[in-house]
Amino acid sequence: MKWDEFFVLGDPMIYGAMVSIVAASMAIVVGLTYFKKWRWLRDEWLTTVDHKRIGIMYIICALLMLFRGGVDGLLMRGQLAMPENGFLDAQHYNEIFTTHGVIMILFMAMPFIIGLMNIVIPLQIGARDVAFPYLNAVSFWLFFAGAMLFNISFVIGGSPDAGWSAYFPLASTEFSPSVGNNYYAIAIQIAGIGTLMTGINFIVTILKMRAPGMTLLKMPMFTWSILITNVIIVFAFPVLTVALALMTLDRLFGTHFFSMTDGGMDMLWANLFWVWGHPEVYIVILPAFGIFSEVISTFSKKNLFGYKSMVASMVAISALSFLVWVHHFYTMGQGALSNSFFSITTMLIAVPTGVKIFNWLLTMYKGKIQFTTPMMYALGFIPIFTFGGITGVMLAMASADYQYHNTMFLVAHFHYVLIPGTVFGVLAGFYYWWPKIFGFMLDDKQGKRAFWWIAISFNVTFLPLFALGLKGMTRRTYTYSEESGFGPLNLLASIGSVGLAIGFILLVYNIYWSFRYAPRLNGNNDPWDARTLEWATHTPVPAYNFAITPEVSSVDTLWDEKLGKHKIFKGKLEEIHMPNTSFMPFWMAIAFFFWGFFMVFSWWIPAIIAVIPIVYFLFARSFSNDHGFHISAKELEEEEKKLRGETK
Amino acid sequence: MKLDASQPLEYRTEENQLKILGFWIFLGAEIVLFATLFTVYFVLENGTGNGPTGKDIFQISGVLWETFILLSSSFTIGIAIHAMRMGMKKAMMTMMTITLLLGLAFLGIEIYEFFHYVHAGAAITTSGFTSALLTLLGTHGAHVTFGLFWGLAILLQVKKHGLNTHTANKSFIFSLYWHFLDVVWIFIFSFVYLKGLM
Amino acid sequence: MAKLFPKEHIIGFLSSIALTIAALMVLYLDVSFAVKMTILLVTAGLQASLQLILFMHIGESKEKGTLYTNIIYALFVAVVTIFGSLFVLVWDWY
Repeated sequence: MKWDEFFVLGDPMIYGAMVSIVAASMAIVVGLTYFKKWRWLRDEWLTTVDHKRIGIMYIICALLMLFRGGVDGLLMRGQLAMPENGFLDAQHYNEIFTTHGVIMILFMAMPFIIGLMNIVIPLQIGARDVAFPYLNAVSFWLFFAGAMLFNISFVIGGSPDAGWSAYFPLASTEFSPSVGNNYYAIAIQIAGIGTLMTGINFIVTILKMRAPGMTLLKMPMFTWSILITNVIIVFAFPVLTVALALMTLDRLFGTHFFSMTDGGMDMLWANLFWVWGHPEVYIVILPAFGIFSEVISTFSKKNLFGYKSMVASMVAISALSFLVWVHHFYTMGQGALSNSFFSITTMLIAVPTGVKIFNWLLTMYKGKIQFTTPMMYALGFIPIFTFGGITGVMLAMASADYQYHNTMFLVAHFHYVLIPGTVFGVLAGFYYWWPKIFGFMLDDKQGKRAFWWIAISFNVTFLPLFALGLKGMTRRTYTYSEESGFGPLNLLASIGSVGLAIGFILLVYNIYWSFRYAPRLNGNNDPWDARTLEWATHTPVPAYNFAITPEVSSVDTLWDEKLGKHKIFKGKLEEIHMPNTSFMPFWMAIAFFFWGFFMVFSWWIPAIIAVIPIVYFLFARSFSNDHGFHISAKELEEEEKKLRGETK
Repeated sequence: MKLDASQPLEYRTEENQLKILGFWIFLGAEIVLFATLFTVYFVLENGTGNGPTGKDIFQISGVLWETFILLSSSFTIGIAIHAMRMGMKKAMMTMMTITLLLGLAFLGIEIYEFFHYVHAGAAITTSGFTSALLTLLGTHGAHVTFGLFWGLAILLQVKKHGLNTHTANKSFIFSLYWHFLDVVWIFIFSFVYLKGLM
Repeated sequence: MAKLFPKEHIIGFLSSIALTIAALMVLYLDVSFAVKMTILLVTAGLQASLQLILFMHIGESKEKGTLYTNIIYALFVAVVTIFGSLFVLVWDWY
């Protein structure tokens, strides 16, 4: 292999990216050394098994990936702003829409959600940590290794260019000869294993570690949504694991799973991808439903309307999500019978989703609504998401889909569900739980300003795409002619995307400004006047979460306490068992990163060498006697006094 | 640490109960993983291209040996756990050793079988059918291989530390894994070999 | 010795051998494909339940409701994936 095949050369933008990566890495190293923060980085972050810190790291990664994916989106809109634009060539455009999709779904939406659930779930169910804290750290670092491996592809070896769904035969070595799709197969695999373990971890946590009194039907709605999400993760991700493994075998070892000759079947890839891919859509949307339920209930000062129907509809969605995948490829060649079947199951999903929309509306009905930033996102979500949902029902009709499929109409549809659903959801959660994590609030006025920029610009960007799709503009085309008449609407969409960028910059500025100037809460544990358990403990939260095991009376247990109907902390201080920190998850993920990197380039001997530390870490863990440590009741009392501000 | 003496050792601490439940859920994920591999196999079963079909290469004698060996090993690991619950450390270790030796024998036959396939013109790169077949068998075989090392590691720990809440928990979870591999094999035996030969 | 080999494990083991031999009969019986597949499905299903209940003790802890739900959900996804894919890619393929 020559150097010009290894590094991506010849493009000024990529050179710029290389220089900025090197400069940023050096700045981090210099900064850590100058401020003497290496020990802090190791002790507080790299070795942590604390669910709150792991959650924060997930969210930091998600925000960085939001920036990366957002820049990809802006580049695409820049190219499409004018007919016959020469800003990007076809190859670059292909790479950019591929990485935009992969990063936004797998490395932005997923870690944002997993980050929020890490921070919130143990607090919301009154637990001291997740069921397997060590495994939780392994999950995070594997995700991190996968994300980094995927991201270096654009400077080393070249990005994948076959779309985020990487359909065969386009993704085969014949049509995608560069190593780009090897990155796709291996980086997502590494991150996916981490996600699968997160799924198991949180199911066990929620099922077994709830505070006394919290029966299944007294769990807050966010906890319910996360339970269902993790059930879907556990049963959907193995399909992706297999599909990616087969892709790796096809590309690196010449097997014939998805080839068009020697008995392979290229459509099998699309089938497996969407058997995982459709449940994946619900993995990123259900947590948002949970967040909106919490936010709407808190800021309407009412309990959630139709709690049981909310739970039932989520359970129904979890089962239905495995029964609809064929609607992603109606036009692939299967018969009318299967298309009809999957058409019907797809439309059925609109029923439980509709139930949820009505429940939210009825929760607000006659409530005392407070228009805070998280509530704004929830209020924006309902109409925009409904719009996306209705266009989804249009797409669900198999015969009509022959017209819409592969056009901008589809692109508009899924942005209309994923942005108000997932992105608004995680942003609402981000604003809502921020004070719990950091002990001060994000400025509300600035937050609303960012919200309006994002909400309005979103519609300016994506509403024109419905019209463009119906006019016949196909997706994934890097340019179009002037005669097509697509120019004006595309320009409008591109202007909207600039507005979206401004909205996100305002959001980042909001974080920066609030860090520096926002007033600290100083012992106010419950700034939103909320209803659930996470607001009952100190802010910022101590490592052990709750000094005394809380007791739960209902879904809104904190509200009950405020009404004087219930007392949450009745017991006395007892010794607490805590897990030890460990450096092993971090180093294991580093080994995985190098293994993946060597596999991408088919460097077998280094790849085998990289497996040795992985195996070593697995067995070292099995033989280690790591039983954690204890915080005595006396130490706990001291700590609690300090947190209450009684001693210095 | 709360101890509940009415339970067997492996369930006795809260942490142990979490681990057992977690592993069962992992087995749920494994069911889907193997189901996906079966899906691929069934879809590509007739995609033999220019290569041989199942009927051409399957040999029932070796497969029957593999089946009986794995069934026996599933029985012996069951006895090992039974012995463990009665506190019979030595019997437990003997049964576990027999289990691992049977696993090794299974692997030996499987590897021999793979050589036979390649010799008969059915390498992993020959056709869609052989790719799917060898990947399904290989994934199961890799699980057995991993199980051998894992079982050995647990055996060493039982030897060193005796039967306590930790080693008993690990051994019990290992037994779940081993029984599960037997279940997967039964489906391979029925729906790959017997279906292919009939 | 009798204490070491409890009755249910012996019965389980012998039945699994018997079921294997019963399944093997599909190679020698002269019946239709559908009947043979039914035999295989029944014997494999029985063997799997045998392992699950007698050897893996799925019903022994207070978590058994969760464990059964877990296995049933996994089987639901497994069956949907296998038969759904066959439906789309083989049986209903033009």
